[in-house]
Amino acid sequence: MDLFEPTRQAFHLLLAGDPQLWRIIWLSLWVSVLAIALMAPPCIVFGFVLAKRQFAGQRAVVVLLQALLSFPTVVIGLVIYLLLSRRGPLGAFELLFTPWAIMIGYMVIALPILVVFTVSAVQGADPRVYETARSLGAQRPRAALTTLWEVRFAVMAGIVNAFGRVISEVGCALLVGGNIAGITRNIPTAIALETSKGEFAQGIALGFVLIAVAIGINVALAWLQGRGGLE
Amino acid sequence: MSAPLFSVEGLAKRFGERVLFDGARLELEAGSGYVLTGANGTGKTTLLRIVAGLEPSEEGRLAFRAQASLVSDYPEAWRREVVYVHQQPYLFGTTIEKNLEYGLARRGVPRSEREARVREALAWAGLTERREVPPHKLSDGERQRAALARAKVLDPTLLLLDEPTANLDGDARKQVLELVTALCIENHTVVVASHDPEIIRLAILNRLCVADRRIEADD
Ligand SMILES: Nc1ncnc2c1ncn2[C@@H]1O[C@H](COP(=O)(O)OP(=O)(O)OP(=O)(O)O)[C@@H](O)[C@H]1O
Ligand SMILES: [Mg+2]
Repeated sequence: MDLFEPTRQAFHLLLAGDPQLWRIIWLSLWVSVLAIALMAPPCIVFGFVLAKRQFAGQRAVVVLLQALLSFPTVVIGLVIYLLLSRRGPLGAFELLFTPWAIMIGYMVIALPILVVFTVSAVQGADPRVYETARSLGAQRPRAALTTLWEVRFAVMAGIVNAFGRVISEVGCALLVGGNIAGITRNIPTAIALETSKGEFAQGIALGFVLIAVAIGINVALAWLQGRGGLE
Repeated sequence: MSAPLFSVEGLAKRFGERVLFDGARLELEAGSGYVLTGANGTGKTTLLRIVAGLEPSEEGRLAFRAQASLVSDYPEAWRREVVYVHQQPYLFGTTIEKNLEYGLARRGVPRSEREARVREALAWAGLTERREVPPHKLSDGERQRAALARAKVLDPTLLLLDEPTANLDGDARKQVLELVTALCIENHTVVVASHDPEIIRLAILNRLCVADRRIEADD
């Protein structure tokens, strides 16, 4: 099979601003960004508390979250499907096969990643950070913020990781979104389902976008780390 | 005699099997300086941390000014007046200047006043030139001086210094020694835990010693 011709077409689609293609890209981006933006603050707070506070069952929670890290996303999709389906407990909201259903799935997928990265970041922080902040007169929440700021790159690595995971995720998005053109078709579902219908150029174009996003966010993180005075 | 500025009564502290304090008491007079000595591992650091509200203990009653409290229930307001400096101080990963500003910002000091006070404290510690340098580029001596300046700029009522000269020698140690002496002469109430003979010999300091799970005056 000739790879050159569809690749040339792929770049043409991208550069010509093909509306169908860019709608797919746009959907992937906003759903992923919004899901992470909504999940990051509560997950980082929870991760901090989990790392710092001693309470019964703490160890069990961490183990459970670590197990969730490797949970198949298609099963998460299945559970959300059942909850959101017309006769499910949340059926009245009519969210199934909308971008919101995908976003909910992404939030669930991102949760353990964000929490586990924060826990290890905070546990890796020097205990003197929190004590110094407290002794200089910071209230608990401020001392927590200061600690998180000191380990911000480890926390950001969690955000980047969660974003990379959801934006390239197929199983859950397909199940709860349904790959409906113009509504819930996003980059991975389009690649997975449309390529088999002969849409090679579109698949290649979207593949390039995913790779560019993956490289882009990691380069951005590395650049921020460099600017953070580590040189 | 007037009531002490800060007092500890009936202090009991243990780490597992190891009992550090049992019924210990301590009184600190306003405006006085103290040097706290004792063999390694007797609990000097732990005592300072308890006074600073950074370490819990099984038993112990504290009083600051006229207010009483349990160690386990250290009042938030005291943290504005009691400042502890670690033996190896931690400086936040930003500039020295921002480090000095941190506690002032927590006290709600307005920005213009913060700048003036930070500038003064930097000059005091001889760090004016280094004010924009991140901490990992400082020498041990500069780091210790920055930490002392960061505490001094807050004008704390009670200042607790843990072995400020322990990791230093030569000029760095001399410079820190001068700053510590200056802090003790100022109006602060200061407690310095130290093995440094030159600090112990300072005439203005009252000598305290941790031994046999108690804190004794040591003359
Ligand atoms: N967090 C902790 N957990 C368990 N044991 C501890 C802890 N902190 C201190 N200890 C123990 O308590 C004892 C007293 O420690 P501390 O640091 O207060 O001694 P110190 O008098 O400051 O000693 P040094 O002169 O070496 O600084 C030591 O035996 C130490 O191992
Ligand atoms: Mg010590």
